[in-house]
Amino acid sequence: MEAYIYNLVNLIAIYSILAVTLNFIMGYAGIYSLAHAVFFGLGAYTSSWVAQNVSPSIFVSYPAAMVAAGAVSLFLALPALRVRGEYFVAASLGLQVLSVTIYSEWKGFTGGIGGVLAIPPVDVLGWEVFRPGQFAILSVAVLVLVVLLTTALVRSSFGRNLRAIRDSESAAASFGKNVPMIKTISVVISAGLAALAGALYASYLSFINVESFTLDTSVLIMAIVIIGGTGTVAGPIVGAAILLILPSVISYFEFLPQTEIGSLQQIIYGLGMTLLMIFRPGGLVGRRPGR
Amino acid sequence: MSSTTPQLGEPLMQIRNLDKSFGGVKAVDNVTMDLRAGIVTTLVGPNGAGKTTFFNLITGNLARDGGEVTWLGRDIAGIKPHRIARAGVMRTYQDLRLFDGMTVWENVLNATEYGALPLPMSSSARAERRDRIERVLERTGLADKRDTRALDLAYAERKFLSMARIMATRARLWLLDEPASGLDPNSYERFLTILREDVAGGVTVCIIEHNLDIVIGISDRIAFLDRGKLLADGDPQSVLNDPELARIYFGDRE
Ligand SMILES: Nc1ncnc2c1ncn2[C@@H]1O[C@H](COP(=O)(O)OP(=O)(O)OP(=O)(O)O)[C@@H](O)[C@H]1O
Ligand SMILES: [Mg+2]
Repeated sequence: MEAYIYNLVNLIAIYSILAVTLNFIMGYAGIYSLAHAVFFGLGAYTSSWVAQNVSPSIFVSYPAAMVAAGAVSLFLALPALRVRGEYFVAASLGLQVLSVTIYSEWKGFTGGIGGVLAIPPVDVLGWEVFRPGQFAILSVAVLVLVVLLTTALVRSSFGRNLRAIRDSESAAASFGKNVPMIKTISVVISAGLAALAGALYASYLSFINVESFTLDTSVLIMAIVIIGGTGTVAGPIVGAAILLILPSVISYFEFLPQTEIGSLQQIIYGLGMTLLMIFRPGGLVGRRPGR
Repeated sequence: MSSTTPQLGEPLMQIRNLDKSFGGVKAVDNVTMDLRAGIVTTLVGPNGAGKTTFFNLITGNLARDGGEVTWLGRDIAGIKPHRIARAGVMRTYQDLRLFDGMTVWENVLNATEYGALPLPMSSSARAERRDRIERVLERTGLADKRDTRALDLAYAERKFLSMARIMATRARLWLLDEPASGLDPNSYERFLTILREDVAGGVTVCIIEHNLDIVIGISDRIAFLDRGKLLADGDPQSVLNDPELARIYFGDRE
């Protein structure tokens, strides 16, 4: 039971990091990306490769993951500078599909479909962190760091600039803001921090493959943000907790036919999300939009 | 009642033979004009005359087809809007373009924040900025609404917030696109007071305005635009008394 809970805490922390970092661009800059799993994956693959070939130290493999994801995110920033709304969603979808293909084919780096095996546990100042209980401390600590950093940014002039750009790009520029620069920085920060979730995921499971970094994951992360509350601090974490705890709650009811649990889950998700958007479009934590 | 004695200053902005067409329509047609320090120039003309387009060309929101614009002697052709803004030329929009999801305070504060990344600020600079914003909110009558989202403001309040944003900056030239349209008489008075105070404080203004009382009340100079052409550019009396312009302006044409 204890191991089970620690495992859940780790997964919630990892998905919360993904949701918090997606919310950073979605909730504040209005950049709706369906490619967030790309950076989750890139973080996982990069940290695994570095851990296996260079050093498993958290101060080497994790920053390497962030740098790689931040650099590749420039491919996402490019369309974000040119198009908005549904056009950008389509562009991000393209990047997501392309990346899954690359992750499936680039055997030297990703192990292809089979994935990467035997990823060494992460080394924190000489301690190998791998037991779920210890790892929960690490994953929650990283989550707290990510939340503190993004919250500080969002509450600073940078966050106001993002929201100003979301509300009116032309007016923001008319007040001296370098709109392309600010958008690019926000995308790079979002991807770089999302890579931390990937690095945690890889060193926690010690095994990864492309299945975890597909469009399904990107959609799930977006659903977490929307259900929790776009543009709020607590929303993405609440959303992650609910979406990850719900399956185990459902399977806990033993009178339910175990074979039907999968479809039952889908029905509850679908219904819940539809009802939520009708009655609380701002998400569980979000406030109602004004008139 | 008109302030017709122009304190002719140096030309801050010089516009020469400015051109812009959309498809076959010449929205701005060979316009030449100076905007001089401390002078309020009012741009009048019928709907579709090209007034807003003229602003868009100056601020870099639109690329010109031909002509020259210099600011403080420097050619600003092809310069990005945010750079022109930082150089001291700021504007309001006819459709306001407020930061709707942000509070009144955040709207005004953010108008003063240029940098991409937050820079550390001394506490005295911070206090100075806060006082400046407080003062702007008092003058625009928005002090009580500081925590209200722009989205939730009434019409006149939105117009004043649009003014408040530009007032909080240190811009030297304000381009105001119909800031007073649709205001009630009390708000007119407030608006005129604000404009007079800031002009006295050294701001140069070019304003698009239809209301004749306001035009007479604030203009040092009137420029008359019709179908993209600058038909007149001179002291208010001579422009307003020109029967030909009145005929065009009041739509007495086929
Ligand atoms: N972005 C654009 N694309 C195409 N045509 C445009 C564009 N902007 C303006 N126009 C056209 O250029 C002409 C001048 O428009 P502009 O908005 O500058 O007029 P205006 O004097 O500001 O009018 P109003 O008093 O109604 O605001 C009009 O015929 C308009 O339809
Ligand atoms: Mg106009």
